[in-house]
Amino acid sequence: MSLSAKARMQFMKDLGFPAMLSLAKATKGKRKPRKANPDFGPPLKCAARLKEIMTRHYYLSRFAPGARPVAWVTSGAPVELLRAFDFYTIYPENHGALCGAQKMGPELCVAAEEEGYSPDLCSYARVDLGHFFSGKTPAGKLPKPDLLFCSNNICQTVVYWYKVLAHRLNIPLVLFDTPFNYGEITEANIAYMKDQILEMIPVLEKAAGKAFNMERFMRLAELSKSTSQLWGQCLETMQTRPAPMTIFDAFVHLAPVVSLRGLPVAQDYYEILLAELTDRVERGIGAITNEKKRLMWDNIAVWYKVRDFSELFAARGMNFVAATYTNAWAETIKHLDMSHPWESLAKTYSLVILNNNLEHRLGLMEKMVREYAVDGLVVHSARSCKPYSLGQYDLKRLLSHRLGIPAVVIEADITDYRFFSEEQALTRLEAFFEALEAA
Amino acid sequence: MSPAQLPSRGDYFKQWRGGGGKVCAVFPAQYPKELLWAHGVLPMEVWDPPLAPARAQGHLQPYICSVVRQGLELLLAGGMDEVGAILFPHTCDSLQNLASLVADYLEPPAPSLFFYNPKAPFAAAAKGFYVSQLQALEDDLALIFGPAPEGAMEQALEWSRRLSELYARAYARRAAGELGVGAAEFYRLLRAGEYLHPQDYIPLLEAWLNEAPAQGGPQGQGILLSGVLPSPPDLMETLDGLDLRVVHDDLLSMSRRLLYPPPGKGGPLEALADCFLAMPPCSTRGSSLSERLEWLGGLAQSGGAQGVVFSVVKFCEPELFDLPELRRGLKEAGLPSLVLEVDVNQEVGGQAATRLEAFGEMLS
Amino acid sequence: MSYFAGIDVGSLSSDAAVIDQDGRLKGWSVTETGPHSTNAAEAALDAALTMAGLSRDELAFVVATGYGRAAVPLAGKKITEISCHALGAYSLFPDVGTVIDIGGQDSKVIRLGENGRVADFVMNDKCAAGTGRFLEVMAAKLGVGLNDLGRLSLAAGGEVSISSVCTVFAESEVVSLVAKNHPIDQVIKGLHRSVVNRVAAMTGNIGIKPRVIMSGGVAKNAGVVALMSERLGVDISVPEEPQIVGALGAALMAAREAK
Repeated sequence: MSLSAKARMQFMKDLGFPAMLSLAKATKGKRKPRKANPDFGPPLKCAARLKEIMTRHYYLSRFAPGARPVAWVTSGAPVELLRAFDFYTIYPENHGALCGAQKMGPELCVAAEEEGYSPDLCSYARVDLGHFFSGKTPAGKLPKPDLLFCSNNICQTVVYWYKVLAHRLNIPLVLFDTPFNYGEITEANIAYMKDQILEMIPVLEKAAGKAFNMERFMRLAELSKSTSQLWGQCLETMQTRPAPMTIFDAFVHLAPVVSLRGLPVAQDYYEILLAELTDRVERGIGAITNEKKRLMWDNIAVWYKVRDFSELFAARGMNFVAATYTNAWAETIKHLDMSHPWESLAKTYSLVILNNNLEHRLGLMEKMVREYAVDGLVVHSARSCKPYSLGQYDLKRLLSHRLGIPAVVIEADITDYRFFSEEQALTRLEAFFEALEAA
Repeated sequence: MSPAQLPSRGDYFKQWRGGGGKVCAVFPAQYPKELLWAHGVLPMEVWDPPLAPARAQGHLQPYICSVVRQGLELLLAGGMDEVGAILFPHTCDSLQNLASLVADYLEPPAPSLFFYNPKAPFAAAAKGFYVSQLQALEDDLALIFGPAPEGAMEQALEWSRRLSELYARAYARRAAGELGVGAAEFYRLLRAGEYLHPQDYIPLLEAWLNEAPAQGGPQGQGILLSGVLPSPPDLMETLDGLDLRVVHDDLLSMSRRLLYPPPGKGGPLEALADCFLAMPPCSTRGSSLSERLEWLGGLAQSGGAQGVVFSVVKFCEPELFDLPELRRGLKEAGLPSLVLEVDVNQEVGGQAATRLEAFGEMLS
Repeated sequence: MSYFAGIDVGSLSSDAAVIDQDGRLKGWSVTETGPHSTNAAEAALDAALTMAGLSRDELAFVVATGYGRAAVPLAGKKITEISCHALGAYSLFPDVGTVIDIGGQDSKVIRLGENGRVADFVMNDKCAAGTGRFLEVMAAKLGVGLNDLGRLSLAAGGEVSISSVCTVFAESEVVSLVAKNHPIDQVIKGLHRSVVNRVAAMTGNIGIKPRVIMSGGVAKNAGVVALMSERLGVDISVPEEPQIVGALGAALMAAREAK
């Protein structure tokens, strides 16, 4: 790593970025504030802080090459290992969500399709590859990685996708292979994962150019654990009625626990968020003004429709209070235990929702329906995500029968709205609203 | 021995069951068939059952591939009512979830068995893990079908070695231009291994190889066929009709798993693990693109292929992700390629046939 | 003097071209295919012969191409429309590098090598998006004649973006856009953009080499041609009769066969 690059990065961190931010704030003051929507309670104050953190993260990333090793990481990978080596981490899935929310999905997908990638492939991957080929991104510029870090605990898709990057960039791809749990997790699976971790440490040492420090790893793993637990506590505030935030807020406030987990900034952020949510609970402030029905969301967000959906539901006094998706970064962290670091790291990452059988998912959702007093279920069938979506028709049927709650499936995609029929989705939702209101 | 003499899947299944034989339905793709044989169980592989999709539509979104859809259709239509177990190897996200959907939500007619294939680049721990998977599968098989008799495992490995040898002979003769049959006949014969017991299949394959003419197959441009499986059968007939000569293949159901016998040394489970780890680069195993490119280049060269035809099952993520880089690399190596998207239950159609024909014209 | 004919039996139109031994176009026709390919092929050929003032006996060789090429018994040889389009375009524009053909149910991009040979090609998959059929369905939905689309699109003040690629989804999207009072010409421009984006995405696979020629029925739609040129950043040439490029190529193939 070069000294001048390190110095430049430090400078941008300490002075450059704060200066840029104050400049941005000064010019932003002139913009007209959005008209308040009477269906919503007061907006979360820490949204501004969140924006600052994520902007800073993406802004500083461009100065990372040369100063720090850069890794592109999948959302379910055990990033704690990378933190111990001080990797600057970029999460292409988070970047994909960002592009989706900015409605750039189709444009970037087409850039990938022009290189021969089928429109039937995951659109996070197409957005990322499209960005890779075209250089287009709402985040300014992403740093080229030195290493790719990938775990198939969320899907096999990430393996196929990262293989393309590894080939194009001619850089190492480190895979953490987490056998799918068809039933309970087995000792053989845990042993296999543990052995892989021990095997990848020298590879990471080589890529980062420094030795592994166990003590530092354990400290950062604890930080990661407390961050995820704080995120879990934030989500749990939504068990109260009215819920102090909506899942649509949570989709956005999820970013630090996904992509900055194991860094102090993420933990600090969730302390602020939790304090604000607790305060709202105490004062009875709801995310929406008239919470009549409480809903659960299944699957990744429909990023280009987050605002529209949030308004559509709020106008009917319906609030999403739980989602399997946002829950995924809080659910399994309890297994992490530094008295058995490798086995517990393996369990934490192997037991995530998408690496487990559908019976497990059904049980988890039943539990959430009860804990969050859910009245109805909206299932997003995401064309991009087969492991999240295949089985949803029966999941919906079983859950709705067992618990006697209305449920609806909408066919959409996470970022590529060329495959979304608004008319069809609205028709299904209207029917769902009627069922819910009659219940 | 002509293809017409091959027993059909349905007839063979009835005959096997009639004799009190045990059957396990097996979804794609790579799995230790020898373990099943050792337990006296006939694996019946489910790749592309020719059924009109009806019941499966209610369980699967339209963006799920036809291999998964047809497999589920067969199960829901009662096609697995008489099997003793259903085995789901871990091949891709869709088959992974199909396994769980069937086992957890659909009350299948037989117990479900699972087999996780570790993914490349294989860690040092992969072999030990694979052996542990074999042991777990063996325990499950013993529970359902009873223990394997003494010597059965060794016998199964022998069958497996003999079959690999015969497959390899068929491939070598074809690549050398010394097998005078078209793709339709070649794959019909070799695909019979998906449902025939080796005791019946080995003599049939031997007879066919001995009697098959050396001349008389397609004479046109040589192509390498890549993809998941040689289906729909209609596609093979189209290739023959256009006089395109398939000189080798890189199909998951064929050369990516059939040509590599378990080695003779070590215990049987270890030999099966070595066999799995030695199989050729494959999208579903997570093999790197450079490995795959090198492999494809070698296959094309060995048979003198002038171009590569990728017959890709629509919505098949593992195959579709690899395509652009493979095509780019092949082009740089002077090998043009063509992509056809197919559904296993549908006819090829005039448009795809036109593309194949134009590809042949382009190569000539 | 000997004469040669090419017949291109497409899903919507059947086209024929008759040339003399020096490759000069003597007659041509564009007719509707209808339900019976063989009849359509013969009708197209006879119309072209009438224009040329010739009879069938005067033809030395006939090549059939297109979707229905197998159903033309009077053809001495069948050759795919990919090879025929390449050769046809090459005869009209000897410096052609790429042919973009948007027909009724297929769209294809062909990159040419030496002497009008095909170096690489790509064709749309089983989906009507990015084909003439897509525009035909939408025109019918909007109650606009197919031939008026180009004019309306070019005159549109703005553009309404169509997000759906699927023909079925796009149909309902168009209905709801019209219900929301978006001007029809702007919706049409958006539909053209959708076709152009779809076809342009195919070109990436093989690369665009100038000069670029557009053929097929959709090439008569000046709105699509303008947007395609803008999208690819290249000038696009359109033959006087873009629908007979395949038939012309087939006729030239016939002349080659006879040699």
